[in-house]
Formats: sequence, C-alpha cells, structure tokens
Amino acid sequence: MRRNAGPLYVAPLALWLCCFFIVPLGIIALYSFMSKGVYGGVVHRFSFGGYTALFNPLFLTVTLTTFLIAASSSVITVLLALPAAYFIARSARKNLWLFLVIIPFWTNFLIRIYAWIAILGNNGFLNSLLLATGITSHHLQFLYNKYAVLLVTVYTYLPFAILPLYSTIEKFDFSLLEAARDLGATVSQSIFRVLIPSIRGGITTAILFTFIPAFGSYAIPQILGGSDSLMLGNIIARELTVTRNWPLASSIAMVLTVVTTFGVVLFIRLNRFQTVTTAPEAFTAGGVDGDEQ
Amino acid sequence: MKGSSIRTEKISKRFGSFEALHDITISINKGEFFSLLGPSGCGKTTLLRIIAGFENPTAGELYLDDREILALPPNKRHINTVFQNYALFPHLSVFENVAFPLRLKKTGKRQIQTTVEEYLDLVKLTAETNKLPQQLSGGQKQRVAIARALINQPSVLLLDEPLSALDAKLRQHMLIELDAIHDKVGITFIYVTHDQQEAISVSDRVAVFNAGKIHQIGTPVEIYESPADGFVAIFIGETNFITGTVREMADNGYALIDTGPIGSLIVNADKKVSIGDTVKMTVRPEKINISAEDPQQLAAHVNVLRGSVEEIIYTGFQSKYFVNVADTLFRVFKQHINCRLNEKSISWKDRAFIWWSADDGYMVEVVHR
Repeated sequence: MRRNAGPLYVAPLALWLCCFFIVPLGIIALYSFMSKGVYGGVVHRFSFGGYTALFNPLFLTVTLTTFLIAASSSVITVLLALPAAYFIARSARKNLWLFLVIIPFWTNFLIRIYAWIAILGNNGFLNSLLLATGITSHHLQFLYNKYAVLLVTVYTYLPFAILPLYSTIEKFDFSLLEAARDLGATVSQSIFRVLIPSIRGGITTAILFTFIPAFGSYAIPQILGGSDSLMLGNIIARELTVTRNWPLASSIAMVLTVVTTFGVVLFIRLNRFQTVTTAPEAFTAGGVDGDEQ
Repeated sequence: MKGSSIRTEKISKRFGSFEALHDITISINKGEFFSLLGPSGCGKTTLLRIIAGFENPTAGELYLDDREILALPPNKRHINTVFQNYALFPHLSVFENVAFPLRLKKTGKRQIQTTVEEYLDLVKLTAETNKLPQQLSGGQKQRVAIARALINQPSVLLLDEPLSALDAKLRQHMLIELDAIHDKVGITFIYVTHDQQEAISVSDRVAVFNAGKIHQIGTPVEIYESPADGFVAIFIGETNFITGTVREMADNGYALIDTGPIGSLIVNADKKVSIGDTVKMTVRPEKINISAEDPQQLAAHVNVLRGSVEEIIYTGFQSKYFVNVADTLFRVFKQHINCRLNEKSISWKDRAFIWWSADDGYMVEVVHR
C-alpha cells in the first residue's frame, strides 16, 4: 500500500466536479462580466452591465420573494419533518415508514408537480370535492400563487428534511429525556433543552437541504406560481431564453451562488459556535418553557 | 434526617404476559442505604423506574413519607436518579450538566455558581468544570451524574447499577465514596445492583430479588449468615448444599438429618420441621475447617466428615479446597492467618478431615412429608 494515497481516492470525484461544476461555474462567472450580444449570447468585451442591471426594483423584489418563499418553506418543512422523524426513530417499524417517505422519488419530479394541478386546479380533485359536499358554491382559485408554490415546495423537500433528522434522532440517547424529566424538567422543557440541542446537527442539515434547493427553485414556481411568486430561477430562465440577456442571467446566477454559499457557511459557523458554548441561556430567553407537567 | 421513607404496597408490573414484578411490598426507612439485589432481569430496575416515575405499576401503591405518589410525574417527585449509563447531556459542559436542575428552577446566576461548585466539590470534581462529557473518564462521568442528581436536594436518591461501567479497582473506590456521600447528605439511597459484594458492603439493608419476587429482606449479615432460601444462599457468595431427611429432633433446637452416603449431620432447626421431612441445608465454605489429621477434642454438635482433596486453589490470603465426601463436593475456604510456609500442607488426593459446628448450618428448603 502506498503511503499518502489519499488524494488518489478523491481524484475521480475531483475530476468530475472540475469538469461539470467548476468549469461551468467559471464560464458563468466570465459571461457575467461580458456584454450582451444583439441576438443573444455574449460579446467578448468586458462590462459591468450584468451587475448594474441588478439594481432595479423588480430584481430586488424577486430576490426578496425568493428568499421569503425559500425560508418559509424550509422552516415549515423542518417543523413538519421533526415530529415525523421522531415518530419514525421511535417506531418499531422504522423500515416501513422510511420506505413510505422514499416512495415519491420513484415518480418523476415534474410529473408530481403536474399531479398537483390535478388536485388543486379549478376542475381538480379538491374543488370537485368541495363542490360536491356543498362546502363551496363555486370554484376556488388554489393555483398560480405563492401559496401553491409554498405547498408544493414543502411537499417536494419533506423527505430531504425527514431523512437527516431521522438519522440524528435515531442516534439520540432517549434516556437523556428521562434524565431531564427526573431532574425536574417538564415534557416541553426536556424537548427544548435536551432533544433539540442534541440533534442540532440534523436540524442544520435539514434546513440546508430544504433551503438551498428551494432558493434556486425553477420548475415549481414556473408551473404552479403566478405573478406574486416569480423567483430568481424563473428570471434567470427568462433572461437566458426569452430576453436573451446572457450576461444578466449569468450575473443573477452568480449572485445566487455567492449569497447561498456565504449564507450556508455563516449558518454552519453560527451553529457550531452555539453547540460548544453553554446553550440554556439562549432557550430561557425564548420563553419556550411550558408549565404543563 | 433530611431523607424520606419509601414504601411500596403490593406493587405488580406486567409487560404483556411477562410478570416483571409480583406483589412487592418493601418499607425503606428515612436515610437508609437500601439495596435491591438480584440477577439481571429480576425486576429490580423495573421497581426503581416505578419509584422514579418512568413506569406505572399494573397494581399497587407507592408512598413517599406516607403520601401516595404514583400519580405524580417524575419531575414532581423529589426523587432523583443516577442512571446506569450516566445520561449526561452531551451538549452541555460539566458545570451546565450539574446546573441543569437549577436553571430549570430559574435560580439566580450567583446562587447557581456557588451551589454547583459546592456539589462538584462534594464529588471531588472541581478541575473539569468546563469539559464536555465525552472528554471525561468513566469515573468522572459518574461523579458528574451524582452531583447532578443531588443538587436538587432530593429526599431519595435512586442509583441504577451506577458502578457497572467502571473497572474493578475504581468500583471499589467509588463505593467507598458513595458511602461517604451518603453519610454526608443523609438522604435515603436506593441502590440497584446485581453485584452481591457491592450490595452487602455498603447497604444498611438488602432486598434480594429473583424473577419478580422478593426472596429476603434483611441486613447484609442476616442475608449472608442466615439466607431465607437456597436462591439467596447461592446468590450471596459461595456455599455448600446438602439434602437429607430429618431423623431425629433434639429439644435444644437441633435436628439430626440423614444424608445417605455422607452420613448423619446435626443442623440448626431454624425452620419448622418434623421427622421424615426432606430438608436442604447449607453451610458456608469459610465456616468449614480442614486438616490432614483427625481433629481431637471437639466441642459438642460438630459434624466431622472424611474425604479426599480434589482441587486446591491458592489465592494468597486463602486457599479454596474442593473435598470429595462420598461423591459430594464440599467447598472449604481456609484463611491463611499464619504463614502458609510453616503449616503442614494438604495436597491433591490427600485424605482430609473437614468439620463445622452445627450452628453454622442452616436449613434453606423444607419439603414436608
């Protein structure tokens, strides 16, 4: 066995990432500093045009919308995933539940999005049900707004939150909850002071796994969204294919990449910092302590 | 006394069709060091979990100072537990682990500082306050767990096999410290263990469990010297069993039993027996004397047997002899009070005499005719 063979093991992955991630990213970075061609494409002439175009209110509104949709869907997803993951981790039939969580992956992502049209559409399942039962007297508009985008984003990324949460909760020593109760904690105190801090790593992963793809979302707002749910991904696609302003599309993509990277690094740093120092202060201030037994 | 008494009244616990506890009635005094001793799966931990509030019994009552507490959740019981795996919070430092109960009660910062220091001092762990649990040794984790369980000033402390994860030397050391802590805080300790040495060396009283039932409750000396039945006798240390039929009753409290090939033996008639009953008697190995020569001028009521030495295990402070008497193997432990080199030694296959006083033999089981 050769010594220092370590780099050899990662060589295939490094080569792959280099060809299909770093190089394309470099091309996008270069394009973002070039000039727009008359019929699309780029003219090889240095320009800040792609970036100055970002300073218009429409772009800022879309960025904000994108962030809000991504953040709220990420939070909702993790909140839904936590109890589910806890249940699965403590269940005697873990494999069955995990299997059910994974089943949606067997169907194409786009088909699942279109399936929601069949459910939420004006002549969809939900409207038919509401009409048939007499709860409503006319069709309700469920589709083509940010709520539809939010709903389907949560639906899509739920497994990505459940799986990392499950794997950390499964390793959690549940006797710690008994210890907390024994030492005077109420049920909610034992959860917020012992369980949640102990599985913080899993929560971080779940938030990142849901926020990052949601932030770069394209298909869901494209198919189910409306004018109130235009996201950065849609703008990039529009600039690339319709307006054919490639430098602008590239600069938006660069902003998306840089912001996400910094956000993720900051988020992980913040979390690591909190885990090492003593935690309880942060929780007593939040007023999460219930008074029930 | 700051501690409380604990009384269980006919507590039973079923898990499906398995009966983990059957009609357990124990009365534990204020400030007592009380042990629940038994093999694994005997129900002792289940009883501890019922007292702590983690399990509900199928039937029965539980009293803390004459107050029924089964309806109270664990955090309202004034009882704290030292868990078998310590159950230290991995995300909190030593200091914060011990401070945890005080933080729940929203105790003032300064008060927390002084109280935590006081309890870390009690368990002799003042240098490691900022370490995380995974940076501690087993013994140190144990100390943190004890300090954390005591800081709420519970009236009863439950200890669930607290020393089982430590190595033998450290275990001995921690046991002595536990005893010292018990003396210092003065509260009731309920100590669960499968190790009879641990139980009898520190406890005021011991309850011996097997298969969900109590076999005997008594002081360590009572349990060892006068075991209630064969299970207790064999579980608490090594012993010899001899079965025979009662042939004669003496009015001074002895019975003569006929053991067949071994011959007739005199034994304490500590159980109600009559002629013709089958009894199982026990005599501890260290109560039996051994010598190569015929022992002369023995006091009255002494059983003398002759056999051949099958095996000798020399352990330094004592030798263990296995003596075959009419195909029954007797264990005989001889304490080396005098220098072993100066004694006339007994070796393998030697004929030897063994004898013990009738007062050292007890009946553990009786089958009435």
